Amino acid sequence: MISWLFLAPFAVSVAVSIWNRKAGYVALAVSSAIILAGSFIHFDYIDSFVVIASLVWIFSSWFSVSYGEKYGRWLAPMFGSTIFGMVVILLSRNYLEFLAGWETMSISSYVLIAMNRKNDYPPFVFMAFSELSTVLIVAGAIYSFYLTGGTTIAFTKVDSVIPLVLFTLGALVKMGMVPFMISEWLPIAHGNAPANGSAILSATMTLMGVFGIVRLMLLSPLSQVFGVIVIAIGVLSVIFASLFAYVSEHAKMLAGFSTIENNGAILAAIGFYMIAQTAILRDFSLVVIVIFSLSHSLSKTGLFLGIGASGKEHFLDEGLSSSRFSRIGEVLSTASLSGLFPTIGGLGTWMILEMFFMGASFLGYLGIVSIIAGSLIAIGEGFATAAMMKAFVFTQLRNGKARGMKNEHAVVFSIGVILILLFILSPLFVGPEFLGGLPSVFVFNGFTIQSRFAAADFGLVSPDYVFGLLAVFSLATYAIFRKPDTRSVPVWRGGREFTEDYTPYAFSNNIRLMLKKILRPGIGERSQYMAISDGFWAFMIILTRSYRKVAKGFTLGFMNSSIRWYMIYMILAFMIVLLLAILI
Amino acid sequence: MYWYEEGKPDGRFIGNTKKYSIYGSHYNSTIEVVHEKPPERKPEEFIFAYGPSTGGLMESVGLDILTPGEKITSISVDPTYKLRKIKVTGMGIQDALLRIERINGFHSASHAICFLRAVEDALQIEVPEEVQFNRIAQIEAERIRSHLLVIQKLAESAGFGVPVNQLSMIREKVSRIIGTQCGHRYFFAVNEIGKSRFMIDKLQEKLLEVIGEFRMISEGLMESKLFLNRLQNNGINRDPESTGPAARGAGIRHDARNELPVLPYEQLDYFPIVRDEGDAFSRFMIRSDEIFQSYDIIKNIHASKSIERLDYDLQKMGGTGMARIESPSGDLFYSVEIEKGNVVDIGMISPSWRNVLSFRRSMEGNIFTDFHFNWESFGIWISELGVDLS
Amino acid sequence: MKNGIWFLKGVRKGVKTEKFPRSEPVEIARWSTEITGSGEANCPTDAITNGKWDMTKCIFCRRCLPGYEPTGKHEIFTVGEKMHQFRKSFFIYPLDSGACGACNTELHALTAPQYDMHRLGIFFTNTPRHADAIAVMGVWTEGMEEPLKRAYDAMSDPKMIILMGACAISGGIIGEGALKSGEYNVAIAGCPPNPYTILAALIRARGD
Repeated sequence: MISWLFLAPFAVSVAVSIWNRKAGYVALAVSSAIILAGSFIHFDYIDSFVVIASLVWIFSSWFSVSYGEKYGRWLAPMFGSTIFGMVVILLSRNYLEFLAGWETMSISSYVLIAMNRKNDYPPFVFMAFSELSTVLIVAGAIYSFYLTGGTTIAFTKVDSVIPLVLFTLGALVKMGMVPFMISEWLPIAHGNAPANGSAILSATMTLMGVFGIVRLMLLSPLSQVFGVIVIAIGVLSVIFASLFAYVSEHAKMLAGFSTIENNGAILAAIGFYMIAQTAILRDFSLVVIVIFSLSHSLSKTGLFLGIGASGKEHFLDEGLSSSRFSRIGEVLSTASLSGLFPTIGGLGTWMILEMFFMGASFLGYLGIVSIIAGSLIAIGEGFATAAMMKAFVFTQLRNGKARGMKNEHAVVFSIGVILILLFILSPLFVGPEFLGGLPSVFVFNGFTIQSRFAAADFGLVSPDYVFGLLAVFSLATYAIFRKPDTRSVPVWRGGREFTEDYTPYAFSNNIRLMLKKILRPGIGERSQYMAISDGFWAFMIILTRSYRKVAKGFTLGFMNSSIRWYMIYMILAFMIVLLLAILI
Repeated sequence: MYWYEEGKPDGRFIGNTKKYSIYGSHYNSTIEVVHEKPPERKPEEFIFAYGPSTGGLMESVGLDILTPGEKITSISVDPTYKLRKIKVTGMGIQDALLRIERINGFHSASHAICFLRAVEDALQIEVPEEVQFNRIAQIEAERIRSHLLVIQKLAESAGFGVPVNQLSMIREKVSRIIGTQCGHRYFFAVNEIGKSRFMIDKLQEKLLEVIGEFRMISEGLMESKLFLNRLQNNGINRDPESTGPAARGAGIRHDARNELPVLPYEQLDYFPIVRDEGDAFSRFMIRSDEIFQSYDIIKNIHASKSIERLDYDLQKMGGTGMARIESPSGDLFYSVEIEKGNVVDIGMISPSWRNVLSFRRSMEGNIFTDFHFNWESFGIWISELGVDLS
Repeated sequence: MKNGIWFLKGVRKGVKTEKFPRSEPVEIARWSTEITGSGEANCPTDAITNGKWDMTKCIFCRRCLPGYEPTGKHEIFTVGEKMHQFRKSFFIYPLDSGACGACNTELHALTAPQYDMHRLGIFFTNTPRHADAIAVMGVWTEGMEEPLKRAYDAMSDPKMIILMGACAISGGIIGEGALKSGEYNVAIAGCPPNPYTILAALIRARGD
């Protein structure tokens, strides 16, 4: 129960933030730092998620200090209570605590999304999906309770894979992946929250799903069939989400799709754990899950905060000026999300591909699944690179450049630096069983990360040497040649004045035209095209709208769209769940 | 007026001058409104600006190609970049003629002769038949050269080096033949009222070699699948009001040569060649066949030894006249009003005007690589389009 | 395949290129050459004053007949500063500022096998960026003034402006000249200039 003490500073922070926005954010950052430090007391595998989440919270709270005044005084408390809910999840020891945190997180983030609404459906869509995921998780919990003979609701080892399946489906909905269906609710919902909110939703709320699945997976028997299904869901999400990201015209929705893509890759790694037949492959996949989650969460925070700092929602919006620091920060975040060295994302992508290619060699007939999954993830990463380039160019390079460093820019820059630092330090946390060296070519022991299926290694990479060589050669080139001489000349356009701009739409139009049948573009708000995957999504909008119609009387009479009522509902729900938890 | 009379809109619409709407053989003073579709721009589309000044275009013209990337949604043609203001009103007929010849230098004979026929109509001048046949010879020689250029341009778009150079060579030969027959390669200062400086003796013999060479080239082009594939089903024109080879390639029997007896074609065994595919290939075929046909027309003209020089006292004459002839690209119309030997009003409708409209319609839905074939196959001249004649 | 391959067809034709400029023009239309004579001339463009012929204004309208006659000399052009840099390769960007189409086709005729300007290292280019010289044809027009200026600015130094035809130089009978005197290096007279004249002027302009 000691660990619950870590919750107290967050509760205080939420209270403080109602009184003073900035103080609340500072308190949140401090609380996150405390829990970060605390996680190292008895560090186990599950604590990795605490480390990742708290890093994200520190940065997004720091960013928020100077952000979001236009959203009013309720942004900070909602932001805080969303984090509070997540802390509950991370500290939970049983299903009820988990659900309490899950609901707190969902409801607060619902309000967070509702704050930025320009049209009605994003928050409702979000809520509908949140409740769907809650129902599935509750079902999983009840089944687990039943399996243990009604003795405990704690996370315990069970003999059946069913609770894991139900729980996974519930978490998947929250992560934006309905089985075999690319749903858009996540990008729309995350894209419509204030930027700091989007960051914690995309980076840590989906991490909670991963956390939950991994938590249960380690307690459940492994089913290869379910593993293959999970890989399939993950891989399809990677491919389609990266395509949708590429054609997205809304900056934050692009990042939202990228979240699905990354979660798809993480999910595929989870699936690989289920089908892996040797302990060392399983261990490797656990490392992959953590490294990839770490890179995704931090880089996505960097991307969302970078977009937030650019002041853009749609790429064509008038933005605020960028600076050298915000550019460096965002280019490193996008490089990490594209799986490029020398960032932690590069390492994550390398590891996940190595993992699947190892699987191709050593999993027998399942090797086919593995090689297909690996190739599709590689393709998805390729599209992701293009999408990230689009995000970077149209949120940073196309914005004017100003001197000096604003607070937001400092945060984005620091995240970029952290991404490189993590890459350099990565040999420290992959675990000694995957470290090695090649002393014969002056790569000393402990400096290479090796993908292994047995005692022998499959492939290796040395982050420190990669970084070192890149740095040395870049600096040497700069020292010798200095800045290149450039000459700019006006564009020749048949003698006419140059008026057309290279639009973000044109940037991705090649794919849009080539994959017209798959992407089925439709017109979104402000006559911006957005991708509509299938009739499913159109149906969902109709469903949520009609639900809203039915609930209109209720909404007007009771909720009357006042935030206070949401707050009351939220606190009540939380207290009831907590009460139940203590009673049971 | 001999060929035109005032009447209700009837028959084929030729175009509008500043004062009249012109139909097949009627004119009407209520101007018919020509609707041009303004392009609607979708968010995925951008304007690919081609021209006014760029390689691949012989003249300055601003083409705005609306496209989502490859397919051409619509195309707009702006001929006003090189808009020349040419004033001929208030001038004597000879002075006006110097300027009319330079409206479109490449089709100068057609413009000059059509203008002169309108003047002769206005002044009710009977022109000797030899002069009339001489004029036909000029127009047909000009047609041969014009069609050769179009076919050369088509081969150039397909990147066929050898036929391009061979066509270029025989085009130069035709230019030189014209140069020796009348002293100027573009028929400048060749025509006058009732007179011509063009010598048609030995013209046919000189052209024979050219026609023989062209036959070889056109057969070669017809054998080339690469070339045909580029043209077939490209830029299908179904505009019922199109003119010239574009109309005749679309199965429409429009040809001023057998519609109005402005020039005595009916004595020369003339019949319009018609094909019905409507694509760039059919326009190529029409032009190719018309080269042979023009040669046959010239062959049928018997050279008269000397043209009697007649002098007209223009200073005292006046009247209104209209004429329409078939220039190499299609219907060319002139109307003039003359008082005391001076031009007081002038109207002109060029075939390029109608061809641009047909071109724009036929281009929709085609892709970028089709553009040059289609553009060249219409034989549009911006110089006669971008001109403010008054 | 009756006639076989285009390449062979081309070879079978043999060399059609003339010896010009080493020999005299083979065949030249008389009314595109130098005009001399004496006496009164009914000139619409004042190209003949006091018996002196101004080639930049002449539109070859034959009104000066019978006092004046063409001589058959094709070298009617003026060249300012010669630019020897372009002796090996000379890239020309044609720009139509308001021409009737005759100058355009005459310039285009330089690629015909009879003249084959490529053998002399003269080429057309599709963009002023790659051009050594810009060949302006036609009278001044409002719409083309800006493209002309932009094209000139887009060219890299050293660069040359060539005016082709009476319209471009003096406006001829149609309007005003495309550029003021002193703004160009080479002026090629004619209405339109004969291909021989153009070729000779281009060769002279690069100092051969």
